[in-house]
Amino acid sequence: MSLGFLQPWALLLLVFAVIPWLRHGQATLAYSSLSQVPEDALSDWIDRGLKLMACGTFACLAIGISGPYLREQWVERIGTGAHIALLLDRSSSMNENFTGRYLGAKATESKSAMARKLLSEFVSRREHDLFGMVAFAAAPIYVLPLTEDRVAVQAAIAAAGGRGHGVTNIAPGLAMALNFFVEEPRQGSRIILLVSDGAARIDEDTRDRLRQIFQETETTLYWIYLRNPTSAPLAEKPANPNESTTPEYFLNEYFESLEIPYRAFEAENPNAMEKAIAEVERLENLPLPYQEKLPRKDLSDGFFATALTLLILLIGARTLEIKTWNA
Amino acid sequence: MSRLVSLPGALRIQWRTLLLGLAALLVTACLWRPEWPLPRQVFRYMVVFDITQSMNTRDYHLDGLPDDRLGFAKESVRAALHRLPCGSEIGLGLFTTQTVHFLFEPLEICGHFGVINDVLSHIDWRMAWSADTHVEMGLYHAIRELKKHSPGVRLVFLTDGQETPPQSVKPQSDGVAGEISGLLVGVGGTVPVTVPRYDRNNQSMGVWENADIEKPPVSTTVYSEKVVPRLLPSEGPYLSWLDEPHLRAISVETGLGYERLASPARLAQTLISPAYAERRPTATDLRPFMGGAALTLLLWVFGIDKSPVSRRKRKPLP
Repeated sequence: MSLGFLQPWALLLLVFAVIPWLRHGQATLAYSSLSQVPEDALSDWIDRGLKLMACGTFACLAIGISGPYLREQWVERIGTGAHIALLLDRSSSMNENFTGRYLGAKATESKSAMARKLLSEFVSRREHDLFGMVAFAAAPIYVLPLTEDRVAVQAAIAAAGGRGHGVTNIAPGLAMALNFFVEEPRQGSRIILLVSDGAARIDEDTRDRLRQIFQETETTLYWIYLRNPTSAPLAEKPANPNESTTPEYFLNEYFESLEIPYRAFEAENPNAMEKAIAEVERLENLPLPYQEKLPRKDLSDGFFATALTLLILLIGARTLEIKTWNA
Repeated sequence: MSRLVSLPGALRIQWRTLLLGLAALLVTACLWRPEWPLPRQVFRYMVVFDITQSMNTRDYHLDGLPDDRLGFAKESVRAALHRLPCGSEIGLGLFTTQTVHFLFEPLEICGHFGVINDVLSHIDWRMAWSADTHVEMGLYHAIRELKKHSPGVRLVFLTDGQETPPQSVKPQSDGVAGEISGLLVGVGGTVPVTVPRYDRNNQSMGVWENADIEKPPVSTTVYSEKVVPRLLPSEGPYLSWLDEPHLRAISVETGLGYERLASPARLAQTLISPAYAERRPTATDLRPFMGGAALTLLLWVFGIDKSPVSRRKRKPLP
């Protein structure tokens, strides 16, 4: 049963419930001879009733103190949502702003700070999505598993603000993000949201392997490309196509060849980035069965209310007691 | 029957009714779910793991526990996770080269145990973005980052303390000793042993050789404090051990505590010591207290009269 107690030890107080059966708890009167009092079944029943009420009061209080609750329960609901793997670029260039200037570690306009702010808002709006997170620079870093724990997702986004390091190595990051979907049963839409300001060459073998996993897991890819205004748009074929000088162009071409739902959003300023995220939000509103966590339910109120009712009845009974024997 | 004379029955009855009335009031108050912020002892830690390759060295030999330094350190932090009281918070971070990377800000451990535990078990040397170890610089970076974002959080830094390549310049801390409180945990044994070398798929490729290690950079800065670099032999296997004197020196400089990681239980014990606790007002449910008071009053009502009571015997049936 999914019943729990906050202070289980308080259930020991239940032993006090026997007290009303051992002690009367009433004022006593002197009377010359009890054997002269006629037997009265009604009185006996009233006496038992009072004892029962007192016993119930003790029991309700003891249970109330122990804090009974129904554990959190998971309920399956259908809503709009998706399983989203956030794949964040943490290379050192993310610390620059959109014009390519490094503003110092505290800058709020850096690409990384903007990305964090917008992602955090995105996550808080997407109530039913599951989020996982991978950060990547030279090597991929497993930050969070796919989870419905929003507080944790926000804590991870908040921590992503530290100084980035090293180069952009996209392929291992993609592989780690895809792995989230390989490991879990298919449910709703699967999305990798790649936020990066650069790209890197992916070798032929890795390209094939990634293509295969993308298709097998039926994963959608969104790439929010934080472009420096000076670099060329993705769609524009560079004058001198070369994988080491314009890797973005080739990466985009590769993503388009994956035969999966894919879109690139180019953001060369904070506004464009905000628009890109809004667009992802609009696109990903497919029905998805999701687990909703019903919060734990406090059950002590009922016990305190019952105790109160019984107490009031007991007080009422007391006002009916005779104080002196006038017979 | 002398008590009846000294204490009139009427008064005694009123007294009982009064107690019951008081109990009823307390129980009524409980229905409003009263709360009060009471200071409680909680712990907030940012736990940073050194994930450089010397942490793959296998020099722990305890039954049922991993023998590599990183695995042992992870297991120890997991043990602490089980020992810390609910309401405590833990964040995880990685260290390699000269910087730290915080994975997430401290999370409450009971409510988020699943996530914390999952991320902890995924920490891997292959997440390192570079291979050198400048422990001292990394620690200063961790302290700077914590100071910026969450100065109240205690730092736990688990490392073997070995600078690779050996220090040729002593980094200058720009902070004051003790501004961030916490613990430096020395991981590994003090006997030099070889460091296993793996490829990206964790397949063994033998051991690290001295010839593979980068030569210490030559510093030309006039202002920095130079150290005579420990010269590595140019051949033979690269050896690693817990550089305790170095860690103790840094611990003095930063005001962090130092402890050698001997067993998971020991670390957990240190992490729940009051020295690292923070007293924070936490909304406390008052119902157990008020309910308890009501129960005491009720006990009083039933326990106060010790005069013997005579019962009417049932008449035997004719």
